[in-house]
Amino acid sequence: MERDPIVLAERALGGHQGAGARLIRMLEEGDEGATEGLRAVLPSAGRAHLLGVTGPPGAGKSTLVDRMAAEYRRRGSRVGIIAVDPSSPFTGGAVLGDRVRMHDHAADPGVFIRSMATRGQLGGLARATFEATTVLDAMGYDVVLIETVGVGQDEVDVADLAHTTVVVSIPGMGDDVQAIKAGILEIADLFVVNKADLPGADRVAKHIGAALHMRAAPIDAWQPPILMTEAERAGGIVDVIDGIDAHRAHLRSSGGLDRKVIRRRERVFHDVLRERAAARALACAPRQGAEILSAMRSGELDPYTAVEALLGVEA
Amino acid sequence: MANRKIRVLLAKLGLDSHTVGITVIAGALRDAGMEVIYTGLRQTPDMVVQAAVQEDADVIGISSLSGAQMQHIPKLLDRLRSAEADDKLVVVGGVIPDEDAAELKAAGVDEVFTMGARTEDIATFIRTWWEAERR
Amino acid sequence: MTDDSRKRPAPDGTEPADAEATWRRDVLGPALADRGERQDEFVTQQMHWPLKDLYTSRDLDEIGFDPGKDLGFPGEFPYTRGTNPAGYRQDLWTMLQVTGFGTATDSAERWSKMLDQGLNGFIIEYDLPTTNGYDSDHPLAEGEVARAGTAIDTLADMEQALDLPWDKLQHLSSVCNAPQPVNLAMILAALEKRDIDPASFTLQMSNAILIEYTCVGRYIYPPKHGLRIATDCIEYTIRNHANWIPISVVSAQLYAARATPVQELAFGFSIAMEYLDATLARGFEIDEVAPYWSFITGLEMDFFEAIAKLRAYRKIWARLMKERYGAKREESLRLRLMSSPGTTGLTLQQPLNNIARLGIQTLACALGGGAYAITTPLHDEAHALPSEEAVRVGIAVQNIVAHETGVADTIDPLAGSYLLETMTRRMEDEVFAEIEKVDAMGGALAAIEAGYFQKELARSQRARFSEIEDGTRKQIGVNHLVQADEKRSIETFKLGETAERQQLARLARVRADRDDAVVAKTLDRVREAASGDENLVPPILDAVKAYATQGEICDVMREVFGVYHPDSLTSGV
Repeated sequence: MERDPIVLAERALGGHQGAGARLIRMLEEGDEGATEGLRAVLPSAGRAHLLGVTGPPGAGKSTLVDRMAAEYRRRGSRVGIIAVDPSSPFTGGAVLGDRVRMHDHAADPGVFIRSMATRGQLGGLARATFEATTVLDAMGYDVVLIETVGVGQDEVDVADLAHTTVVVSIPGMGDDVQAIKAGILEIADLFVVNKADLPGADRVAKHIGAALHMRAAPIDAWQPPILMTEAERAGGIVDVIDGIDAHRAHLRSSGGLDRKVIRRRERVFHDVLRERAAARALACAPRQGAEILSAMRSGELDPYTAVEALLGVEA
Repeated sequence: MANRKIRVLLAKLGLDSHTVGITVIAGALRDAGMEVIYTGLRQTPDMVVQAAVQEDADVIGISSLSGAQMQHIPKLLDRLRSAEADDKLVVVGGVIPDEDAAELKAAGVDEVFTMGARTEDIATFIRTWWEAERR
Repeated sequence: MTDDSRKRPAPDGTEPADAEATWRRDVLGPALADRGERQDEFVTQQMHWPLKDLYTSRDLDEIGFDPGKDLGFPGEFPYTRGTNPAGYRQDLWTMLQVTGFGTATDSAERWSKMLDQGLNGFIIEYDLPTTNGYDSDHPLAEGEVARAGTAIDTLADMEQALDLPWDKLQHLSSVCNAPQPVNLAMILAALEKRDIDPASFTLQMSNAILIEYTCVGRYIYPPKHGLRIATDCIEYTIRNHANWIPISVVSAQLYAARATPVQELAFGFSIAMEYLDATLARGFEIDEVAPYWSFITGLEMDFFEAIAKLRAYRKIWARLMKERYGAKREESLRLRLMSSPGTTGLTLQQPLNNIARLGIQTLACALGGGAYAITTPLHDEAHALPSEEAVRVGIAVQNIVAHETGVADTIDPLAGSYLLETMTRRMEDEVFAEIEKVDAMGGALAAIEAGYFQKELARSQRARFSEIEDGTRKQIGVNHLVQADEKRSIETFKLGETAERQQLARLARVRADRDDAVVAKTLDRVREAASGDENLVPPILDAVKAYATQGEICDVMREVFGVYHPDSLTSGV
C-alpha cells in the first residue's frame, strides 16, 4: 500500500496506472503530502488536449465520450477519461456508473478511465478534477476527456478546465431554451446535437444557430460549429473529432490556447488559495477560532464580523 | 481526513445478467457512504482488474448467480496478483454452494456472501476491514 | 341479548346496517379486551395495502361492485371468472416444467423422460451464450456453455435438441429473447429436417426483448432495434404459422425483479401495447393479432394478492382490448395467461420448506382461475441448478393440487368474496393509473429509454430487501425460525464437465464441414435486410440452413444496429 507521493509520481510517470490512480486518490482526499506528488508530475504535464463534455441528463454524454475515445484510439492517441457523477448529499456515498457505457475500452490499457464523485462540489465537476487531469496529462495521455455530472445545473466550470468544451444537447427536451441556457451557450466551442435520428434534431440545431447569432462576438473569433451525431451507432463522431482538432489548431494560431492556460492556472490558484487560506485561518489559532465560531453560531457575531475577527487574530 | 471514502468496484463476470442483487448492494453501499463504481454486465477478469486499478478501488465485489463462479473468480484472483493489485478486498456474493465458497476462500477470496446475506452485514464487513487495513 | 337483530337477515337478504356495529361492540370488543390484536397493523405483503379485520358486503357496496359488470360468467367479458367457460371441469391446466441442461443430446434425453412422466409440454431454456447471441467459442462464453440451459450454436444442435417423442408433445416454449429471429429460424429449419409438421403442436416464443431491457439484461441491440426484431418475428409467425404464439409478455421477469403486482401489470401491459402498436403498423387489424398475445406471470406468497392479480390480469386486458383498441373477437379479449409459483418466494435456507411454498402458490394459480398452463419451479432452484428429484416433486405438486384438493372441480369458487373483490378492484384501478402515467411518457419504449421502469423496480427491490432484513416481512428460515447451524446439503444437479468440451467440438465440426462461401452470401443478405426494413426472418432462415452460427448472424446485426450498454441512469443501479 504505497502512499509516498514522490514514489507514486515517479511510477506514474513511468506508466504505472495503479500509481497514477493512487496519486489522484490522495489529491482527491486532500492528503497533505499529495501536492508534492503533483508538483513532481507537473513538468511532464501540459501536452494533452483537455476536452470538456457537458450537457443535460439523458443527452447521451457517456456514449458520446465512449465513441469519441474509440475514434481517438483509431487515430493512435492514448485517452484519459474523467467521468463525474453526483454524490448523495445525505450519505456522501455515490454510485458511479459511467464505465458501463465505456465497456469497449475496459480492457484497453490505452484508455484510462477514472470515475469521480462530486463530494459536495457544485458546478458539474468533482473536487479534484483539475488535479486528476494534470496527472493523466503528465502520464502521457494525449487527450483527456472530462464528462461533467449532467444534472442540469449551470455546469460551466468545465470551461475553466478544458481547452475545448463540447456542449451536447438532444431533441425532445421539451423546452429548447432549457437545453442551451445562456451560460452554457457562452462556454461552447463545439455544439453536438446527439440522437440526431430523433424528430426535432434540425430544429434544435437551428435554435442554437439563432442563439449564437445573438451572442456577443467571441474574443478569439472562433465560430462554434453545430454537429449532428448518433452516438449509439457512432454516427457523426469523425466530424466531432475533426471539429475539435480544428478548434485546437485555431487555439494555437490565435493565441487562444495561452488564454485558456492562463485561465486554468488562475482558476486553480484561486481554488487552492480559498481552500488553504480558510484552513490555515481556522488552524492557526484553534482556541480563538472555536470561540469566534461559536459566537457566530449563537448570533452574537454576524458571519461578516466573525470572519474579520478570525483574520485579525495574531498567530 | 474528512474526505476519505471507501471505493468499491462492483462487477458481474461473464454472461450472468441477474442484476437484482448487485443493484440492491450498490444502493446499500452508497447509503453506507461508500463510492460504488459499477462496471455493468459482461466483464472479463481482465476488464475488472483494469477498472479496479484505474479507479483505485479498495474493494472488488463480484456478484455471481449463473453458477460459473468457479470458472471466472480464480482467474480474476490470478490476474489481480499479476497486476500487483491483490491488496484489495475481494468479496463474492450470490448463489454459491458451500463447497464452492470454501474453495473460493482457499483461493484468496476474502468473504463469500450467499443469498439472504444482510446488506448491512456486507457494509459492516467492508468498513471493518477498511478501518483496520486502510485507515 | 336474545333477540339480536344481527342474527336475523334483512328481507332483501343483506345484513342490516347496524349488525356489524353490534358485533363489534358485543362480540369483538370483549374478545379483544384483555389482549389486543397480535400486530398493530395488518398489510398485504407486496402492495402494503392495509387489511381490515373484516370484509363484508358493505365493502362491495362502497366500491359499487356489480357482479354483471365486474365478474360476468366464466368465458365471458370481462373474464374475471376465467377465460374457459368450463373452468377446469373439462381440461385441467397444461402442466409444464422449465428445464434444459447440457448439450442438446443431454437435454433431449431429459425432456423425453419428463414427457414420459406425464407432462405434455416444456419450456426450453438456453444457456447464457445462446440467449446473449454468442457462440460457444466466444471468449465471454467460457464456463457458461451448456450451464444454465441448452447450448445452440447451429442448426445441427437444434436438430439434436428436437429429437423427442413428438406424439406426446403438445406445447413447446422457447425462451430466447434478443436473438429470437435466429432461434425461430433454427426451430423451423430443424422441424423441416426432422419432417415434423409445424401445425402438430404449439410453439410459444417468449420474444420478450423489452422486458430484458427493463430488468433481465440479456439484450444485445438498442431498445428500438430490439422492438423491430421482435416485431419481425411476430409478423412472420402470424403470417406463416397461424397456430403458434409469437409473443409472450414475460411479466414473470418483472415479478422476479421484485415488481409489485401493480407495477408488474402496468409495465407488462404497457410493454404488450408497445409490441401491439408496432405489429398493427405492419398492416394488421386488431382482431387479427390480439389473440396471439400471451402473458407469463409468477405468483408471490401473499395468497389473496396473488389471486387478485390473476383476476385483474384478465379483466384489465379485456378492457384494454375492448376500450382502447376496439377489439371485437372473443379471442382478442380473452387473455392467454401462463402462471407459475414464483421463484423469488423460495429460500436458500431450509430448502425443503420450498415444497410447502410451491404447493400454496400452485393452489393460488388454480384458484386464480383460467391459467391455461402452470409451470412449477423446483424447490432447490434457489440453491443451484435443479436436481432430478426436484423435477419429480415439482410435477407431483401440480398433480396433488389438481387431483387431491378439489379446487379444480367447480368453476371459480372464490368469486364474490368480499375481500377478494375489493382487492381485485383496487388493483384494477391502480394499474390503470400507472398505465396512464407510462402513456404520458410516450409508452413503454420511451419509458425504457428513459430508465423509468428500471428505476421504479430498483426502488421496489431495495424496499423488499430491507423489509426482510429488518424483519417486517417474515420469511421462515431466513429471519424467522432460523436454524443456527443449518447445513445446506441438498442434492443439486451437477453438470458434467464434458458438456462444454463436447459442444466446442461439435461447433468446430460444423464450421469445418459447411460451405463458407454460401454462409458469407447468406450473411450479406441478413445485413442488407437489417439495414432496410425488410422482415429479418426469411434471410436468417437461409443463413441458418447454410449452418451459419447464431453468433455470426447476431454479429451482422450488431454491426448494423450497434450494441446497447445502459448507464446507471437507465439501469436502475
